[in-house]
Amino acid sequence: MMNNGSETIIERFRSITENTHEYAKSLQGKGKMLAGYMCTHVPEEILYAAGIIPVRVLSSHVSQAMTRSYIHETYCSFSHDCAYQGLQHNYDYLDLIVTSSSCIHMAEAFNVWVRFAGFQHKSYLMSFPHIIHSKPASGFMKESFEEFRQFIEKFSKKTITDDDIERAIKVYNHTRRLLQQLWEFLRRDNSPITGPEVATVTLASQLMDKEEYNQMLEQLIQRLENNPGKAPSGVRLMVTGGACDDLRIFDLVENLNYRASLIFIDSCTAARYFWFEVPEDRSDKLEAIAEGYISRIPCPSKDTVPGTGEKKRFRFIQQFIQDFKPDGIVFLCQRFCSPQSMDIVALKPILDKLGIPWTELELDTTVPVTLFGTQLEAFVETITGVAP
Amino acid sequence: MSEHTLINEHPDFAKAQVIVAGVDVGAVSSKSVILLDGQPCAVSQVKTRMPEESASRAINEALAKTNFKLENIHYIVGTGCGRTQVPFAHRTITEIPCDAAGAVHIWGPSVRTVLDIGGQSCRVIHCTGKGRATAFLWNDKCAAGIGRSMEVFANLVKKEVTEMGNIALQSDKFPKLSDFCSVYAQSEFFDLIRSKASKEQAIAAYHYAMAKRIATLAARSGVKQDFVIIGGLARNPGITDWVEKILEVRRLAPKPEWDPALITALGAALFADTFYRRQQSDVSKKPEESQCA
Amino acid sequence: MNIGKILAGIDAGHVATKAVIMRGRELLGYCTVPTGFDVVDAAQAALNSALKNTGISGNELGRIVATGIFKEIIKVPSLNVTKTVPEYVADATGAFFLNKNSRTVIDIGGNIHKAVSYDQDGTLLDVIQNDKCADGLGIFYTNMANALGLSEEEMSELALKSTKNLSIAIQCSLSAESDAIDLMCQGADIADVAGAVSRFIVERVADMCTYMPLTKDIVVIGGLAKSRAIVNHLPDLTKKEVSVLKLPEYVGAIGAAISDGGEK
Repeated sequence: MMNNGSETIIERFRSITENTHEYAKSLQGKGKMLAGYMCTHVPEEILYAAGIIPVRVLSSHVSQAMTRSYIHETYCSFSHDCAYQGLQHNYDYLDLIVTSSSCIHMAEAFNVWVRFAGFQHKSYLMSFPHIIHSKPASGFMKESFEEFRQFIEKFSKKTITDDDIERAIKVYNHTRRLLQQLWEFLRRDNSPITGPEVATVTLASQLMDKEEYNQMLEQLIQRLENNPGKAPSGVRLMVTGGACDDLRIFDLVENLNYRASLIFIDSCTAARYFWFEVPEDRSDKLEAIAEGYISRIPCPSKDTVPGTGEKKRFRFIQQFIQDFKPDGIVFLCQRFCSPQSMDIVALKPILDKLGIPWTELELDTTVPVTLFGTQLEAFVETITGVAP
Repeated sequence: MSEHTLINEHPDFAKAQVIVAGVDVGAVSSKSVILLDGQPCAVSQVKTRMPEESASRAINEALAKTNFKLENIHYIVGTGCGRTQVPFAHRTITEIPCDAAGAVHIWGPSVRTVLDIGGQSCRVIHCTGKGRATAFLWNDKCAAGIGRSMEVFANLVKKEVTEMGNIALQSDKFPKLSDFCSVYAQSEFFDLIRSKASKEQAIAAYHYAMAKRIATLAARSGVKQDFVIIGGLARNPGITDWVEKILEVRRLAPKPEWDPALITALGAALFADTFYRRQQSDVSKKPEESQCA
Repeated sequence: MNIGKILAGIDAGHVATKAVIMRGRELLGYCTVPTGFDVVDAAQAALNSALKNTGISGNELGRIVATGIFKEIIKVPSLNVTKTVPEYVADATGAFFLNKNSRTVIDIGGNIHKAVSYDQDGTLLDVIQNDKCADGLGIFYTNMANALGLSEEEMSELALKSTKNLSIAIQCSLSAESDAIDLMCQGADIADVAGAVSRFIVERVADMCTYMPLTKDIVVIGGLAKSRAIVNHLPDLTKKEVSVLKLPEYVGAIGAAISDGGEK
């Protein structure tokens, strides 16, 4: 079967997601500075403008208890894992660790890195508004970004000009557009690429130098356009949740006893990361970045419109449902994550009204294959009925 | 393990057209139900160890009550968490559709909500009058192992699991145990001993905490009548009575001839029956099919 | 003829009640009984059984010292408990008595695990105990053995034969049990599941130990110390060698018996 090398490119992306440190160190080998980030609210463009490559800190999925001495038991496993990796010195090679104030669990993981993992003099905590859909938010972000820019200039000993930022914005927007193109394949009934593969390629974007990434992704998309479909989609399932970086779960969705296709993922490791653009060629670059980031699909921890309590994310979800036509929605809810679980309570009645069935899986460090597999299969059985 | 005598005590397999079985390999116990022409003829319930050998043990124990062998069974459906480890199953289906099918078969088309309280997990299933599952809610990790914990608890207070429910119902005043976390509940139980609460009160307290947790799961999913409770813990009146009270919904009366733990296996057997008959009618419908091999 | 006093120690724990009979330094008899709900019954039964083979009658008993979480409950007239000592005192006293070179004792019990450090004179220095979410390790171990259809000894030996490191949730014993059962339902190798169970316990105990600087010469006691798989893995995480005292679950009762006035 001709697949004109698209499999090899996907394999390369997968390999990077499985060997993140090796890849990151190779960038350093080329003379690049690296900044780890723990939350996608960090405006990567400002780092990139200074020639620093942002790489996201993701779970290693190791079952360990030692972080219980640093962070409370009832903090999410993602924060525990990130803290653990810092304490194990897995990320010592980073030149800087940055996070933006988002949720308290990740803030504690960040604190562990700063206080106990040797990142005291190479860390930056960025202020970021919690209620982003409010008038003062944009101004707040602009100021915060300006402080960040000044810190990075001092840190990297480089001036960051407006042109540098504009260039970075364009590179990042290019990534975002390419990713949207990639995800559009999943709209098709017979896609040349599977959902888990798309998730892998997307996750890789958070770990790579965007210029290199864009080149590879352009190639991939070109080849995919000439590829035949892999198979008609089975039951179409959409996933929505937090930082779902365990690709094994997505593989599981497409390896059930029934044919199911993963056709969309709403998470900060997938659609929420890139489904927006920063306005280009504006005179005030930081304001443009603020505007772009405000227009993103909101994270559950930041999504409340004051007064009405409306959730902007739900509008996006409804649009995705219209465009990608899922037969059912799977909530991947990180255990102990309060914003996510509150979000779900509000989202379920909307899905009920739209007539879209849903099921809820509880994420943790480990993937209970039988439990998840059974629940997903049961979900498919209730959607399609049980035929002989 | 309890057994119930069912209708057809002398199954005559020579005359039977359709022999099927459902095997439910649960985390705590494995059950099987054999149907002869749609009628139950043998059942079994054994403790689960490793899933594959437990499935064999379950079906063999049921077969021992018949005059036929595994090879004579036309179609077997495996269900339960160990369903992928049933080598002799023709097909696997999860517990969800099986619960719905079994419940409606036993209690009739008025059933809309099935609460299945198993050894390791519990689920709430919504279904149509035809026995089709339309939605479900599975417990989260914090509410796992309720059924099994009851056995452990019974050991601790040196009572038979079967007595526990009735003992629980004897007290209407008892201290409150944590109902959101079993680990905390366990520790609080030890505090009960220290506070010199009576054994009856401790048992009641534990039942209430477990019932509360189960009822919370059901309430999250919503309970539409008619409502039934199945699974091993449905045999425990301490749990079922309090679940009803907390939910403020009465369940349909249990059927004395059916151990509620067998309903899932029954549902699986009913699917097996449908599938086999469909297979047979498809075969007979095939036009001008060559008779040669 | 040994003219030492006959002493008894009773350690009434969450899961098991242990009784020991000592004459001076000599351990004459011991017995363990499941605590259950009737702690007094259990204590009586343990004491009687411990006395049985010693040929000593109850009247000859000098002091009976009680320890364990239920020590106050067993101070009833029928048992004649003369005094109680806290568990950490009993653990340290017993451990130091049995091994003068030890400086830290880790006690992995049915519901609670703790560690006590002491100096060369046996004087207590520091105590730590698990946090609430890590309760119930011993109970978890027993439950898992039951679930796998094994005795605790069998499960421990089987864990040593594990060839693959399977991952189970670490938050608490309930989530770990959920994952372990899940592995079993997948048909995972029972030795690997047993290994995962042991590693879970080691992880939680080692995490507790980070709250206290560990000395050299660490001894491990308590019911779970009987598991070779657990004791073998503990050094991997604590980065210190450990050794198991003989009759590890009786060390608390021994410590109680000889505490304060007993033969050192």
